[in-house]
Amino acid sequence: MSKFLALIFGTIREAIAKKIFIGFFVISTIIILIFLFIINVDSIEGMVNMMESSGEEGVKQLVIGFEVAMINISYLLIITFCFISVSSFIPSMLEKGNIDLLLSKPVSRMEILLGKFLGGVLLIFLSLLYLIGIVWLILSSKSGFWHVPFLYSILWLTLSFAIIYSLIMFIGLISNSTILSIIISLFLVFVICPVLYLREETIFSLVNNEAARFVINFFYYVLPKPTDINQITTDMITGNPIKSYMPVFSSVLFMLAALSASIFYFKKKDY
Amino acid sequence: MLIISTKNLSKEYPSKSFSKEKILALSNFTFDVQSGEIFGLLGPNGAGKTTLIKILLGITFPTNGEIKIFDKNISDESYKEKVGYLPENHKFPNYMSGEEVLYYYGKLSGMNSGDVKTKTNEYLRLVDMDKWRKTKIKKYSKGMLQRLGLAQSMMNNPELIFLDEPTDGVDPIGRKEIRDILTNLKQTGKTIFLNSHLLSEVELICDRVAILNKGVLVKSGKVEEITAVSDNYIFSTSEFAGDVLHKLLNDYKAVIKSSNEFYFNSSDTASLNNLIDYLRQNKILIHSIVREKNSLESMFINLIEGQN
Repeated sequence: MSKFLALIFGTIREAIAKKIFIGFFVISTIIILIFLFIINVDSIEGMVNMMESSGEEGVKQLVIGFEVAMINISYLLIITFCFISVSSFIPSMLEKGNIDLLLSKPVSRMEILLGKFLGGVLLIFLSLLYLIGIVWLILSSKSGFWHVPFLYSILWLTLSFAIIYSLIMFIGLISNSTILSIIISLFLVFVICPVLYLREETIFSLVNNEAARFVINFFYYVLPKPTDINQITTDMITGNPIKSYMPVFSSVLFMLAALSASIFYFKKKDY
Repeated sequence: MLIISTKNLSKEYPSKSFSKEKILALSNFTFDVQSGEIFGLLGPNGAGKTTLIKILLGITFPTNGEIKIFDKNISDESYKEKVGYLPENHKFPNYMSGEEVLYYYGKLSGMNSGDVKTKTNEYLRLVDMDKWRKTKIKKYSKGMLQRLGLAQSMMNNPELIFLDEPTDGVDPIGRKEIRDILTNLKQTGKTIFLNSHLLSEVELICDRVAILNKGVLVKSGKVEEITAVSDNYIFSTSEFAGDVLHKLLNDYKAVIKSSNEFYFNSSDTASLNNLIDYLRQNKILIHSIVREKNSLESMFINLIEGQN
């Protein structure tokens, strides 16, 4: 167990050394400061007063609006930054002279990969805890509305990250390229997934062919669904009913498949 | 006791990605290493030395053959708890300091925090890196990195240590210090598997060597056996001249080096003893008789050039 923990903390140590943590901290702090500025400007103060005069429900709606905005900002900025930051973890681990030493230690190859994976996930969790936790504290103390579901978004965003990180890991192992991992993951998260999420409004309005629709649906169900998970998070915060947890289950399955494929490949590979 | 034993070990690599053409890195390699010895692995570049070490450490997988380390199959990774390794061109995380490197790899070796701290102090002192322990290793010279690497390989108090070019980039004094450390390790019963290009160094400290060329084991044995030149003896005596000199030249076919030294080639002990008797009968004092040796380096070059 101590060897496994050493791998996890080694990953976090690497993130600290590569200034990834500082990057998170700086970006998060800037977002928090901007947020503080926004909720203290006169027009917003006026809006808060107006909402307060319209009763408790008005304040809640305003707080939830801020929270949803924060989730989307976190999703876009933090997750993007995370992908770029952690993409180098696997290629740097595979560098000649480094991987030899790691594999000579009494740690299984599966433990090495899972240590890297959990280290990266823990890193993102702590960063999101800082950003969303502080924003939650500010919003709650300012409004008096302690909206706990907003905190759950830390877990949902971490899960979204973990799902894509499993893919980054697999690409990194096979290609040994940081750049390729970044390009594919960003393309997936910001192009493929949103398009597939909105496939009925976008692609299906152009494509009538049943076979083509089947293929598109197939990709939708097979690929991870961070956009859907982000929507579930938003629904959870706003109190809207959640249509289906299928995107979560299928994405978790994708993550497990990507991790299993990575472990299988890593276990067989000569270094 | 056998620490390492391999039988018909082979390794093939594809010559290019997705190519069916194979490169034979190791071919039917059979050898063993005994407990407490320093075993040297020699060979030109590309001979398969590093491949062999990587296979023994489970970094690369063999195509065929059997390997046992500590009498266990290497698929059981527990043997690595008793193994230390210094890879060639090792790459420690350069954001760590010397002591952080030892802490990290010590923990990965399964050591507890208390032992890691104790051993870190002990081995940093041993390799004379104590004063640089807090310095980030990106500021280290090649020699300093090798010393740290050596300390790292000893951290978990291993019974078997693999050293791939341990003195690479180290100055002559540092090399001497590393040799002394290895000799001391041997005296404490450790087994050392050494891969080095510095043949003079191998000759100085290794008990046995194996020579690899193009993936094939071409020679192995004790260093003194390998370096011995058969049947050539150097005699150092009191001064001789006249009849003795004449007899040495004509009857014994000796090669005279000076008035008190000559070479004698003998294929059997009887003729050797006959010469000794002759010298003693003629009141020539024998100071020493030494069987001539090749240096490991000249033997190695002759062997490899002959093969190629």
